[in-house]
Amino acid sequence: MMNVRDFALVAFTILSQMAVGSMIVLGIVHFFAIRKAGMQEADRLSDQILPAIGIVLGAALVVSLTHLGSPLNAPLAILKLSTSWLSREILFTVSFFVVGAIFSFMQWRSLSSFAVRNLVAWIAAILGLMQVFSMSHIYMISTEPAWNSIATPISFFTTAFLLGSLAIGTAMVLNYNINRRKDQKCAEVQCGLLRDSLRWISIAAIVLLGVEVVLAPLYVTSLAAGATTAAESASLMLNQYGLIFAFRLVLVFIGAGILGIFIYRNALSPGREKILGNLTYSAFALVFIAELMGRFLFYATHIRLGLF
Amino acid sequence: MSSQLAFHVDLSSCTGCKACQMACIDKNDLELGQRWRRVYEFTGGDWVKMGNAYINSVFTYFTSVSCQHCEDPICVNVCPSGAMHKREDGIVLVDTQKCLGCRYCEWACPYGSPQYNPTLGKMGKCNFCYDLIDAGGKPACVEACPMRALDFGPLDEMVARYGDLRDPAPLPISSITHPSVIFTPHRNTYPAGSNEGQIANKEEV
Amino acid sequence: MSKDDLLTKTLKDTVLTRRSFLKWSGVLGGTAALAGGGLKFGLKAIERATAQPAEKAIATGCAHNCGGRCQLITHVKDGVIVRISSDPSEDTLEAPALRACVRGHAYRRRVYYPTRLQYPLKRTGKRGEGKFERISWDDAISIAASQIQSVKDKYGNAAIHLVAGSAGGSQTLGIGTAARLLNLIGGYIDTYNNYSWACIQKATPYVYGTQTCGATRNDWLKSKYILMWGWNPAEMIDGTNTMWYVKQARLQGAKTVVIDPRLSMSAVGLADQWIPLYPGTDAALMSSMAYVIISENLHDQEFLDKYVVGFDDDHLPEGVLAGNSYKSYILGTKDGVPKTPQWAEAITGVPAETIVQLARDYAMLKPSVLYQGYGMQRRAYGESTVISGISLAVITGNVGIPGGWASGMAFEPVGPQGGGLSTGNNPVTYKVPRYKWPDLMYRATEMTPEEDGVVGLGPGEKHLPTNVKLLWQVAGQSMLNQHGDINFVASKLADESLVEFILVNEQFMTPSSKYADLILPACTWMETSGVTKNWKYGATFINMPKVIEPLYESKPDYEICAEIANKLGVEQDYTQGKTADDLVQDWVAVAQKADPNFPSYEEFASKGYYQWQFPDIHDSMADFRADPVANPLQTPSGKIELFSKTLWDMGKPDSIPAIGKYIPEWEGVSDPMRSKYPLLGLTHHYMRHSHSTEDNIDWNEEAWPQRAFINNLDAEARGIKDGDMVRVYNDRGEMILPARVTKRNMPGVIDIPSGGWWDPDQNGIDRHGAVNILTSLRVTPLAFGNPQGTFLVEVEKV
Repeated sequence: MMNVRDFALVAFTILSQMAVGSMIVLGIVHFFAIRKAGMQEADRLSDQILPAIGIVLGAALVVSLTHLGSPLNAPLAILKLSTSWLSREILFTVSFFVVGAIFSFMQWRSLSSFAVRNLVAWIAAILGLMQVFSMSHIYMISTEPAWNSIATPISFFTTAFLLGSLAIGTAMVLNYNINRRKDQKCAEVQCGLLRDSLRWISIAAIVLLGVEVVLAPLYVTSLAAGATTAAESASLMLNQYGLIFAFRLVLVFIGAGILGIFIYRNALSPGREKILGNLTYSAFALVFIAELMGRFLFYATHIRLGLF
Repeated sequence: MSSQLAFHVDLSSCTGCKACQMACIDKNDLELGQRWRRVYEFTGGDWVKMGNAYINSVFTYFTSVSCQHCEDPICVNVCPSGAMHKREDGIVLVDTQKCLGCRYCEWACPYGSPQYNPTLGKMGKCNFCYDLIDAGGKPACVEACPMRALDFGPLDEMVARYGDLRDPAPLPISSITHPSVIFTPHRNTYPAGSNEGQIANKEEV
Repeated sequence: MSKDDLLTKTLKDTVLTRRSFLKWSGVLGGTAALAGGGLKFGLKAIERATAQPAEKAIATGCAHNCGGRCQLITHVKDGVIVRISSDPSEDTLEAPALRACVRGHAYRRRVYYPTRLQYPLKRTGKRGEGKFERISWDDAISIAASQIQSVKDKYGNAAIHLVAGSAGGSQTLGIGTAARLLNLIGGYIDTYNNYSWACIQKATPYVYGTQTCGATRNDWLKSKYILMWGWNPAEMIDGTNTMWYVKQARLQGAKTVVIDPRLSMSAVGLADQWIPLYPGTDAALMSSMAYVIISENLHDQEFLDKYVVGFDDDHLPEGVLAGNSYKSYILGTKDGVPKTPQWAEAITGVPAETIVQLARDYAMLKPSVLYQGYGMQRRAYGESTVISGISLAVITGNVGIPGGWASGMAFEPVGPQGGGLSTGNNPVTYKVPRYKWPDLMYRATEMTPEEDGVVGLGPGEKHLPTNVKLLWQVAGQSMLNQHGDINFVASKLADESLVEFILVNEQFMTPSSKYADLILPACTWMETSGVTKNWKYGATFINMPKVIEPLYESKPDYEICAEIANKLGVEQDYTQGKTADDLVQDWVAVAQKADPNFPSYEEFASKGYYQWQFPDIHDSMADFRADPVANPLQTPSGKIELFSKTLWDMGKPDSIPAIGKYIPEWEGVSDPMRSKYPLLGLTHHYMRHSHSTEDNIDWNEEAWPQRAFINNLDAEARGIKDGDMVRVYNDRGEMILPARVTKRNMPGVIDIPSGGWWDPDQNGIDRHGAVNILTSLRVTPLAFGNPQGTFLVEVEKV
C-alpha cells in the first residue's frame, strides 16, 4: 500500500518531529546549562545549534511539498481549521517555524530581554508540541484502523524526543569540536556541560527506547485482534514486512540502548571526548535509520477499511 | 441541508454489465485508471462433489458504486483546503481549483470514491453529473443502465420508495459516514462486514 | 499532459497527414478552439452549470452483431463527438427505450482510436507478417479491380469468395455492399447457414416446419416459469431490451431459472435459481426431465394426441417400427436405458433431486417458457440437443398458448420492412456451409454434398470447378480470428500458392487483416449515412446519419465498392446514381409504403428510430394451436413431429437421430481424451466486445480484461492463483494469459471469452486469448454447423 509519495511523508514527518523534539531538548539543555555555568556558556553551548533546527524544519517543509499533486495550491491548505487536522497541523508547523525563526533571530542579535526571548521560545515550543499533536490526529481517522489508536501520538512524540535528544547530542558534539578548535580555553567548561547533557540525553534515549520496545508488540497484538483490515495490517507487518519490523527494533535497541549505556558511562568522566563523540554520532545514525524504518512501516502497513 | 440527493441501486436487477461505468468515463472524459463509478462482483459459496453430482452454494451479485454523497462526509471533514465540499442539495464535489492533491480524502473515504489523477495532480470523483441535473436531466449512469437498476432523487423519496438499506456487503457499515445511496437487495445480498463472499474482480475496480 | 483543447487531444495520438489535417481544418472552419475546455478529465471547476457552447445532439444507433440495436446520441461540438449518451425516452411496454450497453458507451473511443486505419495498405512482407506500405486510393482501387477481374477471367466467378462478416451495421457499410458489386459481375461462391444458429435453424423445422415459432416478447408477461437454457440475454444481448422483458415477467410473478455451466450475468440479474451442468450434456438433462414428466404423468397427453406425431409408439409414421418413439427412448423401453435423473446425474453433474424438481416446475408452473440459447447448439451435436429441448415444450403442451413458448429457433414474424440496398441475385449457385469455407482454399474440388454439405451443383456436376483464388473480407474476422483452429486456417491463408489475392475492408489492423494483400480503410457508421434494423424481434429501425466526416482517408464500404465498380465498368448499375443519403430516403419511402404509421424522414431522424409493434401479443403458433387442421404446419404430417421420418430416412441414427437424443460429444464429458485434456472448454460472449469488435479498445480492456476463467477447485489443484499467468493448450494450439480464478464456473469447466484478438509471439503462442486457437474445424452432422463450443484443454501455471 505504499506509493512513492509516501516516502516524502516519511521524510517530512521524521524531520519535522525531530525539529520539534530538538528545539525542546535544546531548550531544556540551555536552561540547565544556565544554572550550572551561566548565560554565556549556555549560549555558547546552544546558539549555533538553533538555526540548524530551522534548516531541518525548512527542508522538511520543502520535502512535504513533493507529496502534493498540485504543490502550488499548498497555501490553501490552512483553510479548513474548523474540521481538518491537516489544516491545523500545517498552521502549527508554519507557526512553529516562524516563531522559532523569530526566536533564533532574537537570540542571535540579543534583541529585547532574556524574559521576552524566553517567552518567544516557550511559544515556539508549545506550537511545536501542537504540531506533533495535530500531525498524529491527521491519522486518527475511523476508517484507518492501523492508525486510529493512541499508538500513533505516542509513537510520534517518542520519535520527536528520541531523535530530538540524539540529534541535539550529535549537534552538541559537533559544536563542541568546532568551538574547541577555535578557543581551547572554553574547552573544560563546555566539555563539562557537554558531558552532563549527554548523560541526560542517554538516559532519555534509553527511556524512550523502552517506550518503543514496549509499544511495538502491544500495538501489533491489539491490531491483530482487531476487525478486518486491522488484522490484515498486523499480518502485513509481521509477514511481508516482518524483517523490517524486527530489524528496526534491533537497530533502535543497539543505538539507543547499548550505545546509550556506553554514552552514559563515557560521559561520567572527562577525557573521553573522542569516543563520546563517535558513540553519539553512531547512536544518532542507527536510531535515525531505525526511525525511518519505523515510519516506513507506518505508511506501508495501513489498510483503509471499505472499498477500493 | 435543504434536501439530500441520493442514488438508488437495485441490486436485484443489476447484471454487472458496466454500462454505468462506461457512461461515466465517457461523460467525464476520464483517463485509464480513473473509474468514478465501479461495479464490484461479490461472490461466495463453494462446490462440493457428492457422488456424480456437484452441489454448490455459489452466489454472485454486483454492486455499482460511485460516490455516496454522504450526509456526514469524512472526505469533506478532512480536506485541508475546502476543495472537497458539499452543496445545498447534498452533492459532494471536488473544486479542482482548490485541490492540492494531498490525497487525504483518499485515505479517509471508505468507499474508494475520491481518486487521484496523476496527470492533473488532483482528485476526481463522481459529481452526480450536477451539470446535467442542474439542466433538468439525469446523471449519465442513471440514464444509461440497460436494466434500469439506477435511479436518483431526494433521499427521503428514495427511502419511501425503496426502503432504507444503505450498507450491503461489500460496502462498509453506513454509520461511519451516513451515505446517501439506497439499495434494493439481491436475493443473495449479505450485510456489511459479511465474510460470506469476497470481491472477485479486484483488478477491475 | 498539457491542457490541450479537445480536438488536438482527440487527434494527439494519431498520425495526421497534411492532407487530412487540411480536410479537417476545412470542416472546422480553420479553428480548433473550444470555449471553456471544461470537459477535460472531469475538471469541472465551476459549481453551477454555466451555459455551454453550442453542442448538437445527433441521434444514431449501434448495430454490431451482438443482437442489440440500440440508440446512441452523439454530442457533437465543432465537428467532434465529445460525448455519447443513449436513449433517454421513458419506457412503455410496447416500446421500451433502446438503451445501449457498455460497448455502445465506449463507441466514441472506438471511432477516434489512435490505431484506426488511415489509408490503403499494400503488403510488402510475407503474407501474415503484417508488413504493409501506404499506397494511394487510385492505386488501391486499380489493384483491387484488376485482381477481381483477372481471377474471374482465369478461374471463373466460383473462384471468388466473399468471406462472411457481420460488423457492418448499416446499408452503406458491410458485406452487403461487396455482395452487390460481385453479383453484378458474375457472382461469387457463397456460404449458407451461419456461425450463430446453424444447428437450431436447421433442426427446428424438422419439428415445426418453420423457424418462425416464436411469440412477441410481451407474451412472457403471461408466463409463470421461464427456463433460460444456456440463454444469457443480459450478457450477449439477445435483442435490445429482451432482458428488460424478462425482468418485467419476473415482476409479474414468473419464476426464472438459468441452466448454464457458468453463473452468467443473466443468472445473477434475472434468475431465481441457477442450475449448473457440464457443457454438452444438455440433451441428457432434457431427456431426464422428460422422464420425470412422463413417468409422473405431468405431460399433456391430449395435446400430444391431437397435435403431435412421434411421441409414443401409437403415433409413429408409416413404416417405422414400435420402440423408436420419443417416449420409448425416454423410458428406455427399447435401448434398456431409462433416462432417469440418476442416469442424467452421472452425465451432467446435476443432482438427481434437482432434476426432479426442475422437471416438475417446468411442467406444472404453466404456462412456461423454455428458451434455448445458442451456445448449447454451437456444439458437436447441436441439432439433436435442439430437438430434445423442443420436445420438452411439446410434451408439456406449451406450444401456441399465451405465456408458453415453442422453443427452438423461435423467430417471430417481422414487421413491415424498409428497402435495403439490394444485393441482387448471385449467378453462382454453389454454396458451402459457412463453417467449411476454409476448405475452399485448398480442397474445393474434392468437396461433396454428402460429406461437406456442398449445394447448388448443376445436373451432372460432381464437384466444385475450382479452389477459391480470391478472398474478400468486409467488416468481419471470419477469415481467421473468428473461425476455428486459427493455426490451421492461418497456414492456408499464408500459402500464396493457394489463394492468390486477399482483399480486406477494415477499420483496424485486425489479426485477420494481417493476412491481406491489400487493405482498404473503411469508416464507421458515424462517418456515413445509413439505416439499420433490429436483429430478431419485431421491427425497430434506427437512423444512422453521418455525424462527422470520415477520419483520415477512410471511406464507407459503399463508396469503396462503387469505385471498384467503376473500374470494372458497372458503376452505374451498382449505384444507380444514388448517394448514401439517397439510399436512406429510398429506404424510408419503402418503409412508409409498407407501414402507414411510419413517420416522415424528419420525424424519424429527430426521434432517431421507429419501433413498429405487433397490434397485440403475437404468437406464431397460435393459429396452429387454434385449428391444426385448417392451419397445418409445413411438416410432412402437418403436425408437430417429435419423430421426423425425414431424419429417420437419412439412415444415420447415431449422429442424426429421428428424435431428440443425448449423443455423447467427441471432446466432451466422456471422451477418453480427457485423460490428456481434462478441462471442458467454454467460450462465452464477453461484454468487452461484440464478437471481435472493440476487443482492441483500451477502455474495454480496462472494464473487461481478457482472462482465462478457471474454477477455484481446478485452480487449486494446479497451484494457480488469481492473476497468475497460465498456459491453456490442446493439440491445436496454445495461449498464455492471466488467469481469473472464479467460483462461477462449474468445476471441470474453463472459460475463454470469445472474440479476443489473436496475438502470436515469435513461437506461435497466442498471448492474448483468442479462443479459436483451441477450437476444432469439425462440423455438426446435419447442419454442417460450427461446434466451436466443444473442445478440451489443459491449463498449467507458467
